[in-house]
Amino acid sequence: MRFKTTLQKLPKHSELVSCVGWTSPDELYSGADDHLIIRWNMTTNEQSTVMTLPNDCFPTDMHWFPKSASGMGGKKGASEIFVLTSTDGKIHIINRSGRVEKSTEAHKGAVLSGRWSYDGTALVTAGEDGQVKVWSRSGMLRSTLTQNSIPVYGVCWGPDCDQVLFTNGKQLVIKPLQANAKPSMWKAHDGIILTIDWNPVNNLIISGAEDCKYKVWDTFGRPMYSSTAHEYPITSVAWTPDGELFAVGSFNTLRLCDRCGWSYALEKPNTGSVFNLAWSGDGTQVAGACGNSHVIFANIIEKRLEWKNFEATVTSAKQIQVRNVMNDVVEKLDFRDRIIKVALGFNNLVVATSSQCYVYSIKNWNTPVIFELKEGGVTLIKQAEKHFLMVDGSGVYVFSYDGRLVCSPKHQGMKADMLNAQTLTLNNDTVAIRDKTDEKVVYLFDAQTGKAMGDGKPLMHKVEVLEMALDQCGPATERKLAIIDKNHDLFLTSVRIFGTERKSTKLASMIHMMTWNDETNMLAAMTDGKIFVWYYPNAVYVDAELLPKTVAEKVTSDFGKSPQLLGFIGSHLILRRLEGSLVSTTIAPYPAVLHTFVAASRWEDAVRLCRFVKDDGLWACLAAMATYAKDLNTAEIAYAAIKEVEKVQFINNIKDIPVKEARNAEMALLCGNYTDSESILIQAGLTFRAIMLNVQLYNWDRALELAVKHKTHVDTVLGFRQKYLKRFERKETNKRFLQYSEGIEIDWEKIESKIQMEYQKERERPSGNVGATSGGAGDATKPRSGGRKERA
Amino acid sequence: MADEALAKAGLHFDELNKIRVLEPEVAQQTRELKEECKDFVDKIGEFQKIVGTFIEMVDNVAKEVEKEKMKAIGARNLLKSIAKQREAQQQQLQAVITEKRMQLERLRIQYDALQKEEGEQNEFLEQLISQK
Repeated sequence: MRFKTTLQKLPKHSELVSCVGWTSPDELYSGADDHLIIRWNMTTNEQSTVMTLPNDCFPTDMHWFPKSASGMGGKKGASEIFVLTSTDGKIHIINRSGRVEKSTEAHKGAVLSGRWSYDGTALVTAGEDGQVKVWSRSGMLRSTLTQNSIPVYGVCWGPDCDQVLFTNGKQLVIKPLQANAKPSMWKAHDGIILTIDWNPVNNLIISGAEDCKYKVWDTFGRPMYSSTAHEYPITSVAWTPDGELFAVGSFNTLRLCDRCGWSYALEKPNTGSVFNLAWSGDGTQVAGACGNSHVIFANIIEKRLEWKNFEATVTSAKQIQVRNVMNDVVEKLDFRDRIIKVALGFNNLVVATSSQCYVYSIKNWNTPVIFELKEGGVTLIKQAEKHFLMVDGSGVYVFSYDGRLVCSPKHQGMKADMLNAQTLTLNNDTVAIRDKTDEKVVYLFDAQTGKAMGDGKPLMHKVEVLEMALDQCGPATERKLAIIDKNHDLFLTSVRIFGTERKSTKLASMIHMMTWNDETNMLAAMTDGKIFVWYYPNAVYVDAELLPKTVAEKVTSDFGKSPQLLGFIGSHLILRRLEGSLVSTTIAPYPAVLHTFVAASRWEDAVRLCRFVKDDGLWACLAAMATYAKDLNTAEIAYAAIKEVEKVQFINNIKDIPVKEARNAEMALLCGNYTDSESILIQAGLTFRAIMLNVQLYNWDRALELAVKHKTHVDTVLGFRQKYLKRFERKETNKRFLQYSEGIEIDWEKIESKIQMEYQKERERPSGNVGATSGGAGDATKPRSGGRKERA
Repeated sequence: MADEALAKAGLHFDELNKIRVLEPEVAQQTRELKEECKDFVDKIGEFQKIVGTFIEMVDNVAKEVEKEKMKAIGARNLLKSIAKQREAQQQQLQAVITEKRMQLERLRIQYDALQKEEGEQNEFLEQLISQK
């Protein structure tokens, strides 16, 4: 990726240009010390003077009112007014035709920076007098936030518009708007900080200073990146709207950097110092205010995407080159308008230009599906196998690959322009969106209808959700959502629930990043110095004891300090090192093969594969898969292979049970879901088994309650209770047992015969005698090792 | 006699016996003087013309010299600044080179990783083949 810069032959301004601002992706305004405000039209390449400022007014900063906050006011999404700060201590609110709507005396000395909040309700300014002031939208002073002894060179809003970041010499300060809240401040640079920016999407801060370095920070003031010293002070920094990249300006220097801080490209245009940088709303081009009275424009080109054997490169603003690595066939795709977003995956290339969307199949590059876009500013494209999702300023849309609008999921208070790849996830049947206002809430939608899933209630996580991802394969009913929360714990949650409670299970802690495999439901996650790969995350619901065995660990020391996990394609893990190079590594291919066998119910092949590989992890996977699919024979073999003797025994017992429901209940027990197990039994009318289940779990109260409720086997429960107490040489203290034991004679012969009768009855049930054997009687009374763990 | 009387009255006769106010000699001299004066004026005029063109030429030369002088000064200054310019250019190129070098390093690392992966896969394939 690099910049392609354009400079006019002769400058349009006659003095130093101090500020620039985009109204739409095709229109830029610039202000300079020659007192002129010039409008630059990018489509016609024409410039016109909008207004002339008074002679004593030298502009310092310009910021257009946020588009999303102006509502329906702006047609085709162009901003209407902007704030201009000047050296005479005034702020001017000016509309697009150049009429000054409001001029206010704001600071003593020059006003150095002015910024609208993202919701458009407030304006913050910083001045040479060291003050930071908050104004209403109409330009009335609301409060003076702070008073410093030195000039404040830069000021920015926080993502939620409830805090403000500003510079204080060599320090950065984050101050909440509440009057008594404590600001957090840290020393950021060795020189005066000249410029800052705070991205609302990724919540990262960049700063540039006179020590000739630029740095990336998180909101706690932890350094994420620090550049080497440049030759000249850093005079401007700016995030792209989506927070993926940022630009850095210095004397004769323009740099394009990744959000992690490493630089993609460096340009040395003849500009003098770049005093101000502004990205267009679609994030494809940046404009710079140059010290030698030029305005520089830089387009991002040569963005590269890879998927399987295809490589797509955006070669210019309106052209993409696709190369098939296998046979070196190169396709050139030309577009009418500027390319804004490109996504490649799942056999399709999706290209959003400023007015249209093109969908190419990798089989046919000549006839794309083309459809018009209502609004040009596509901010995000996400793909799944069957459809893809597009986000623009006004909403979220799911399209099929033949260009049909499938649905447009929406929840209350959704801010589409704030969505990013971490807070939105998609697969073939589900769309999940994290709420912006309450980050604990995740909304789940059916991808076919766009309606909220199930009872319409969103998923509530206990802590704020940082990142989430849906698994990509398997049936929709088993859909799972992986969540990384604020404590960096990784959770697995079921998406579709029917009446039951949502099962959320913690898989691991200290996880920074995770990704699902694209072909099978394997999950990879990144922790300090290690990558974990869960071959079968569902094991946590089947048999949590198996889970640690199904995890592969990979040490990442080969890939430098804290690499990023970008993708998990087939058996390849794609990582990005801290300094920006892409590296990949592989895991064993067997789990993927095992997944395909199991998906096709080819259990014998699966067993053969495991025998061939002789790996405990794989056997454990198979055990969990077989147990989940209720394939008892395979489960038995697999458990035997990993020497889980008690499980093998338990499965053998289950095999002997004549009634199907009872077998299901026992399977649920094996998975540790004794409540499920009990409800299965009660539903099937197997009251006796339900009672015995509770007896064996030493859940005496429940056992007695069931017995009394169904008026059967009260004496059995009491008998077992007595035995139990005797063994521990204790006396009955439970009031209910004392109450019921009065007047009931415990006759073990009678109890035994009653139990035998129950089993006899079970065998005679019409549905139950499939594969039934006579050995079932008495089994349930034996202590079962498999059932023991639930009470431990 | 008569001549004398006439001369007293200021009248004279010349050779052609025409009556004259001036003495013929004087008249002759006057005429000569006049001729000489005319000659002189002509010569002076010519001289002036020659001097004029000369001045013009000198002026032109002066202008030319001035121009060349300025050029020389400019060139001298340019020469002085070119060193600085080169230095700046060199610095810029150096920065670009560093950038490219970093890019190269990134690509090298990627290549190494891919090669390592290829090796692993080949090893794996061989393992599979040998096990059969």
